[in-house]
Amino acid sequence: MAAQEELRPAGEPGLIGARVRRREDGRMVVGAARYVADVELPRSCEAAFVRSSSPHARIVAVDVEAARAAPGVLAVLTAAEMAQIRPLADLIELEQSIKTPRPALPADRVRYVGEPVVAVIAESRYAAEDAAELVVVDYEELEPVLDAGRASDGAPLLFEHVPDNVYFRSQQRTDGTDAAFASAAVVVTRALHVNRQLASAMETRGVVARVEPDGRLTCWLSSQAPFQQRYLLALALGMPETQIQVIVPDVGGAFGPKDFIFPEDLCVIRAAMLLGRPVRWIEDRQENLMAGSHAKEQQLEVGLAFDGDGRLLGMRGRFVGDTGAFAYSAPAGLVDVMFTAQSLPGPYVVPEYDYDVVGVLTNKTPVAPYRGVGITAAQTVRELLFDEAARRLGIERVELRRRNLLADAPSTSVTGQEYDGGSYLAAMEMALERIDYAGFPARQAAARAAGRHLGVGVSPFVEGTSLGTLARLQSGFPMPSHDNLWATVDLTGAVTVGVPTCSHGQGHATAFAQVAAEVLGVGVDDVRVVERDTESAPWGMGTYASRSAVFGGGGVLKAATKLRERIVQVASLLLDAPPEALVLEGGFVGIGGVPEARIPLAGVAGAAHFDPGVREALGESGLRVSVFHDSPPAYSNGCIAVEVEVDPELGLITIGRTIAIEDCGTMLNPTIVEGQVRGGLVQGIGAALLEEAVYDDGGQPLTTTYMDYLLPRSSDVAPIEVGHIVTPSPRTLGGMKGMAEGSSIAAPAAVLNAVADALSPFGFSVQRLPLSPQAVWDGLRAAA
Amino acid sequence: MRITLTVNGRRHELEVEDRRLLCDLLREDLGLTGTKIGCAHGVCGSCTVHVDGRAVRSCTMLAVQADGRAVRTVEDVAAADGTLHPLQAAFSQEHALQCGFCTPGFLMTALPAVEAGAPLDAQQARALVAGNICRCTGYDGIVNAVVHASASCAAARETR
Repeated sequence: MAAQEELRPAGEPGLIGARVRRREDGRMVVGAARYVADVELPRSCEAAFVRSSSPHARIVAVDVEAARAAPGVLAVLTAAEMAQIRPLADLIELEQSIKTPRPALPADRVRYVGEPVVAVIAESRYAAEDAAELVVVDYEELEPVLDAGRASDGAPLLFEHVPDNVYFRSQQRTDGTDAAFASAAVVVTRALHVNRQLASAMETRGVVARVEPDGRLTCWLSSQAPFQQRYLLALALGMPETQIQVIVPDVGGAFGPKDFIFPEDLCVIRAAMLLGRPVRWIEDRQENLMAGSHAKEQQLEVGLAFDGDGRLLGMRGRFVGDTGAFAYSAPAGLVDVMFTAQSLPGPYVVPEYDYDVVGVLTNKTPVAPYRGVGITAAQTVRELLFDEAARRLGIERVELRRRNLLADAPSTSVTGQEYDGGSYLAAMEMALERIDYAGFPARQAAARAAGRHLGVGVSPFVEGTSLGTLARLQSGFPMPSHDNLWATVDLTGAVTVGVPTCSHGQGHATAFAQVAAEVLGVGVDDVRVVERDTESAPWGMGTYASRSAVFGGGGVLKAATKLRERIVQVASLLLDAPPEALVLEGGFVGIGGVPEARIPLAGVAGAAHFDPGVREALGESGLRVSVFHDSPPAYSNGCIAVEVEVDPELGLITIGRTIAIEDCGTMLNPTIVEGQVRGGLVQGIGAALLEEAVYDDGGQPLTTTYMDYLLPRSSDVAPIEVGHIVTPSPRTLGGMKGMAEGSSIAAPAAVLNAVADALSPFGFSVQRLPLSPQAVWDGLRAAA
Repeated sequence: MRITLTVNGRRHELEVEDRRLLCDLLREDLGLTGTKIGCAHGVCGSCTVHVDGRAVRSCTMLAVQADGRAVRTVEDVAAADGTLHPLQAAFSQEHALQCGFCTPGFLMTALPAVEAGAPLDAQQARALVAGNICRCTGYDGIVNAVVHASASCAAARETR
């Protein structure tokens, strides 16, 4: 597409793609970064919540009198005090979806342990928690629904208007799937229960709300989508958007679940309105693990059909998502299973494919998106089946992948996803070379002779990234995308870009400044990136689903290019030179090759602001432009390869050489890309081996501390070697594809296949997630 | 209870509730919000500070237990003129942070060993920080930063 060429900037060369050191780091390494818990407001008070102790019960009575009389207590909110706040519901228009709006506080029924029932506001968190202990809620227990696979078998209903506890169904059929399976030489199938997980950012959720005497609301939120949140707040509160400002301070990680409004936010805002004082709630870790947001749990069954040469003939899948008690957050539970279903083909040519998707409600914490949403499950089961099929077909497992990988040119999947081309085979070959795959059999044999069990796993992936209007349509849940941003040169010649993305660790203030600086011929330090505030830009979706390089970076490229045109237009008048003769360099615009014929950007801005002749010629004034940016889908690709050693007696798995190859098109800053690759990969290792939110048979959560919910530590993983291939997208501005999830999507399959490879002499296969030492040990006993 | 403690070289006399956590005293009463609370049950290490020179978790220590002791927080690591400590500089150089929330805890955990004067290899560095949780980086940057900072601290000691 020509757009990309036109937008190759002519200013400061080489900044896009340079390893510029992050400007965010300075405040962070000295303890000066400010997160939501660090927002300090005069007369601020604190909230604590009384949460349901029952997974499913009718609320018979709530006695808050003792709490109201407790020392330091300012307000106690029950459903009655929250009655005028409208319930939270998603905004996705899908015919086959039944909505389950949730009230800020429930009046008559609780549906999961940890559901907030009463909010207590006091002078301090200590006082609020003391008073919360005095609240007495009388429950009449109902039978809980805990198994999504059996939630429709006559189980009690969570909502009378949701038959069988199924709030969503979808399916796809292609004409030839049955024939493909009937004619297959080998069919492999696997049923897996994907472990319930948590994004578990190191900073929990948090909100501070202040209401001005005139009713204007300012909300500080730990967030990744402030504009969406402001809109949702406006709907819930019945206020115009103009009366609400959402400010996002530094964010201590998010990974998906911080893009929505929660009941706790509404209670805090309501309290601030009632009290006329700022109110703060900082979620503690037990609250977070119990009731923050869970993710990813589903029960799936997938079958792959191959011909005798190892060509994939077709796929079948059934995906039952365990959404928890409400499907209320914007993408909610169906995003997980829809993404799984739609992305099952992955980097392979798949001619035929039938799937069924079912979204089920259970009496557990509601789920929200978490890095690699749904795609991880698809990748995991598909790659496990590829290894099994290779064994059954007698074809080497990497060779089986070679025979089925996509060609590099753009193509469209059987699920209608428009891939923009990549380096599917080359990325895998690079990973194989780096991990010395060819030499592995000898290493493995030597280790086995010494009584040690080594294995290797290889997991090539595609990662849908550019989640704009079209990509959302192709992913199965339509929700139009909108990003609108601006760029300006002020009277001192400094550049500012205002973006509606929401960095929470991705270094936008650096990476986006690199883009603007290159286009405008200034230094990175001359560019300020304004972000994380609903006053920072007209409107935008925020930062999730690896979209920011395309929508933020691409948007800045577009805005800076338009600004550059404006600068050139003004300078052309001032220098009396044709626009095409002008270059932007070192903060000046001038005639190329004539050092004395140049004007500083401040001079251009001054003329555009104040010179009546220039203003008249421009038809407007100043150097400020704004652009709208939507983008077609883009797909990064790459490959993860991991070696492991397994101790079959103890079931312990040690991660060895770890290779990540990433092709995300044009990189804005490779250091930031590599950081995302590494972080995602380690989260993927956690998903494969450690992390699981567990409920007991009565619906009580058992993993409510970091001693029970295990996150990967430095000692659980090995150094990660990252390699790059750059295949610019032919469809996005600047060729960026976006990235950050591929390694988390692909790592579990690589690790699990490596373990299965190590234990192949025992006939071990992966049937359970996560693959804890106990699961390994049980699996070995089952295989024996 | 009335306590006296030194924080970052400044003496403070404070009346605190017996149950008040040291991290809350630092953050809420003294305004030293660089110390982060990640779990409040002593596992993640985000709240790590030094008490009498040793790294401790301020979320599982009562403020009254710091009576008569010297506490050092992340705000005291850079030089008074703002020059970063080699470990802080290495964290930025090696991309050892993304969201930055766990960073103060990692810095305070690694600092005593980095300043002890012996260079640490990658394995030692990895073990040194294994008690802290970072959810963003995958740890490689942190390990590299500790290795490089320990080497430069050791070299600085040699030349002195």
